Amino acid sequence: MERVLLVYEKILRKIGLEKFGNLIEIIRINDGPVNSLKKLTYYDDLKKGTLVGTDEFGNRYYNNNYYFFGRNRWVEYADHVGFNYDGSQVPPEWYGWLHYKTDYLPENDPTRPNYPWVLKPSENLTGTKAAYMCYSTTKPKIVVWTPQSKQKA
Amino acid sequence: MLRSSIQKAAKVSRRCVHIGNTNKAAVAKPSAEQTLLEVYIDDKKVLVEPGTTVLQAAALVGVEIPRFCYHERLAIAGNCRMCLVEIEKSPKPVAACAMPVMNGWRVKTNSEMTRKAREGVMEFLLVNHPLDCPICDQGGECDLQDQSMAFGSDRSRFTDIDFSGKRAVEDKDIGPLVKTIMTRCIHCTRCIRFASEVAGVDDLGTTGRGSDMQVGTYIEKMFLSELSGNVIDLCPVGALTSKPYSFTARPWETRKIESIDVLDAVGSNIVVSTRTNEVMRILPLLNEQVNEEWLADKSRFSYDGLKTQRLAFPMVKFDSGELKAVEWEDTLKHAAQALNNANGQIVGIAGPLVDAEALIAFKDLLNKLGSEHVYTENAFPLSGSGIDIRASYLFNSKIVGIEQADLVLLIGTNPRYDAPLINTRIRKSYVHNELDVALIGPKIDLTYDYEHLGNSASTVKDLISGSHPFNKRLAQAKKPLIILGAQQLKRSDGAALLAAVQQLAKKTAEISKVDASWKVFNLLQEAASQVAALDLGYKPGISNLKSLPAKVLYLLGADDSDVLKESIPTDTFVIYQGHHGETGAELADVIFPGVTYTEKQGTYVNTEGRAQQTLNAVTPPGYARTDWKILRALSEIAGKTLEYETLQEVRKRLEEVSPNLTSYGNVQESNFIAQATELSKSVKNNLESKPIDLKLKKLEDYFMTDVISRSSVTMSKCIQAVLKQKQNKYYDGVEK
Amino acid sequence: MAVRLQYATRIFPIFNLTKLHRAFSTSSCLKSDKPLKDSDVIAVESLNKSKYPSVKESKFSDELIYEQPFIITDISGVPEEHIKERLVRIAKAPKNAMQSGTNNTNVWVLQFDTRQRWENNLIGWVSSGDPLSNLQLHFNTLEEAIAFCKKNCYPYFIEQEKSIAPKKKSYAYNFSWNKRTRVSTK
Repeated sequence: MERVLLVYEKILRKIGLEKFGNLIEIIRINDGPVNSLKKLTYYDDLKKGTLVGTDEFGNRYYNNNYYFFGRNRWVEYADHVGFNYDGSQVPPEWYGWLHYKTDYLPENDPTRPNYPWVLKPSENLTGTKAAYMCYSTTKPKIVVWTPQSKQKA
Repeated sequence: MLRSSIQKAAKVSRRCVHIGNTNKAAVAKPSAEQTLLEVYIDDKKVLVEPGTTVLQAAALVGVEIPRFCYHERLAIAGNCRMCLVEIEKSPKPVAACAMPVMNGWRVKTNSEMTRKAREGVMEFLLVNHPLDCPICDQGGECDLQDQSMAFGSDRSRFTDIDFSGKRAVEDKDIGPLVKTIMTRCIHCTRCIRFASEVAGVDDLGTTGRGSDMQVGTYIEKMFLSELSGNVIDLCPVGALTSKPYSFTARPWETRKIESIDVLDAVGSNIVVSTRTNEVMRILPLLNEQVNEEWLADKSRFSYDGLKTQRLAFPMVKFDSGELKAVEWEDTLKHAAQALNNANGQIVGIAGPLVDAEALIAFKDLLNKLGSEHVYTENAFPLSGSGIDIRASYLFNSKIVGIEQADLVLLIGTNPRYDAPLINTRIRKSYVHNELDVALIGPKIDLTYDYEHLGNSASTVKDLISGSHPFNKRLAQAKKPLIILGAQQLKRSDGAALLAAVQQLAKKTAEISKVDASWKVFNLLQEAASQVAALDLGYKPGISNLKSLPAKVLYLLGADDSDVLKESIPTDTFVIYQGHHGETGAELADVIFPGVTYTEKQGTYVNTEGRAQQTLNAVTPPGYARTDWKILRALSEIAGKTLEYETLQEVRKRLEEVSPNLTSYGNVQESNFIAQATELSKSVKNNLESKPIDLKLKKLEDYFMTDVISRSSVTMSKCIQAVLKQKQNKYYDGVEK
Repeated sequence: MAVRLQYATRIFPIFNLTKLHRAFSTSSCLKSDKPLKDSDVIAVESLNKSKYPSVKESKFSDELIYEQPFIITDISGVPEEHIKERLVRIAKAPKNAMQSGTNNTNVWVLQFDTRQRWENNLIGWVSSGDPLSNLQLHFNTLEEAIAFCKKNCYPYFIEQEKSIAPKKKSYAYNFSWNKRTRVSTK
């Protein structure tokens, strides 16, 4: 039976039709055709890969070295953000791995410092109401008088 | 060391050129026109009086010889050697600043020898000068930079930098105003000569010789003078710079606007340097008749008070007692309502820093509303000649008249702190023109010797009657001057004192057979707005506010706590219009934010009667507006519209009332002095026996006298530094 | 001198003064559409000089010169608010108090009044709406400066030149034995 399948595969490879099997494999791994279509809509892209880790926000990180450099590591954003995924939702710990700065996963990296003053990561709010508005931090040039006494002398 | 070299040069060149004794020549010359010497500067002939130096003769032709140590108003030092010029048939170049010209000399200011001399001197100056241009405040306005570009050589031969390097000197601390970086000092000794001759405080000097010479106070001492900021202008390099101004701006990025200083009554001409709409510094402007080239410290350094405690919004006091910022229209309506309801029972007080345009608008408005109670803060007696004759309240002989005088009698005034630039003039005459000074008042340090005639006002009576020993000296004086301080007129016997002094002036003029055009009596005002206000018909001085039936009290920049404290009944509606929040604004029910002297184009008349105008250099903060415009708007809302709308029309109105107010830069000769003296005879009260006291006796009193200087951080630092210096065990000054 | 203060035009004494707009040409003869008639010419003596004060006699007996003020505001393109509402200050350039060189003080400077400056929202720099804020014109003589102002119809005021009094100085005064000019320092 296996020999038949291998020959089957060899013939398919000669013609180039093993891709369809690959496709069905990808659809299977991505939880069925509906979810695959959903992923295609979100990311324009349907890939299979090993789940390398998850972060605190629910983003999932995948790796598949079959794909060429630049496409072998990717993130699938958390389900609750839906269409509103944004690159800034990737927290700093995973940023290095995702952008090929390091091969270490965040929990394995020995050089990561742990400072008490580090803020919780937040996404870029440009274009929303909560966007950062720059303000002047210089001293005002003229200091205006404020009345001291509240009642008439 | 340096003086002997000039004498040696004199001896050597005596072979070629005759050098006469200039003092003798000055005494013996019959008349200037007959003995004019002819000199050829670069083949251009010029006829000069004997005693002129080569540098002055060249300046007459238009040739400016470079110099570091020479300054027109200081003694000649001749130690920088940058002014060396070649004179034909002289083996050595001659220091142009010190050498008096001889007849027939041919001076070459651009010859080979001259150029070599200049390059050599410049090279030596630059040997030990640090490479501080990028961090030096003087960069861009530095004499050394400009002269090295123009007269120095293009390349350096200084290889010693790799071996022993350049000399370095410690910085000296001489106070919170002048920053010293003595490494940059080129030992021109201008600051030393200034401190000794003009300021009268002999604190600066040199220690050591040659390469180790240092300019400073030797022991750490503050430079205790009210003119200390002028050494910053004098220093040709960045050794002495302004501490408040340090590292704030470069001279090429500032805009310079010429204006007038109003923090005292002298009306010194200033240049306001601004950048990005704030005042960066204030420098003096040359005006031979008023302030020469100097500027007093308070005027120079209180510009940071223009940026603090400012009133920027119109405010109204609500029923809760709290002052809150309100829109202009509502504030004006509120104030106009109160003014209309007062039925003419309005009292107006104008402060010391108000310009003439605001004064006339104020008076016109209050008069239209039915009130004649328009007062100035500073007092002047109305009995006798009062304010009808200008000669009773002006500095009649003009500030330049001090230079022609041969005796000055100061009565109840400390010109050193009341008007430092008039004191400079008196000192200049004391040094150069053999002026004698006498003082009636407390014993104070005036930086020159004077005869102290006691402390009581009865001395004046004695002088009039002729029984005082000083009368002999008075009789000998050909051009005597009597200067009375305006603050003495606040005394209860102020009228009598003024009358007595006027009679003394008349008597002195008679006995000394003074020329008819020479005016003996002078009054030294304290406030910049006083003369303009008196010209416009304001009533001077307000002794008791409670006695006046006032429903509305309108304060135009009036912050004098002596006048205002506890005198105001609680149901009076107080309107305050000014630029700083102080005593007046605290009391107010309505606040109108006005502008300071750097933000308006206004007319100020100085104590001589010279009308001058300030120009606006920066924009006022927030909602502040020009004073006369506020009054014009208020008048329109109150229903009593003033007839003028533009500045030109206000000035036409000023000219209508008193034409001298728009004759800028000129002094009208004061007349009717005899008539004023006649009228003064009608004054009934007698001189009291209490001693004459002064408000400003010590240096620490000088720095904070008006709203702007009281808001200035620099001024408070000055006061602290002066007090600290006076507690130093080595302090040996007269003032304790 | 490149600029003539007053614009003189030679006209034949026709005294149809409405035709004087044609006098803007620099040529010395009037370009008229039609030839002059005898009735157009009036004798010089019969001209009412008080009525036309700008008209002066020239060295030619049958000619008169009408001097018009030279005004270029119509063609200069400066907006009216920057002519009527501005005040020009003409003064001699002041000497910098920190330096002793006087080469820059020989020119007459023409400056405009300072207008409002405010803080810009974007960065906090200082903005201004005044196009003439940086304009400083230098003239060699006061007359040229005044002529410029008159040509452009700017209201102006002049600050008089401040004269410097010459000082009598002598190095020997530092050593006088009986005068107070004896120097106690270097």
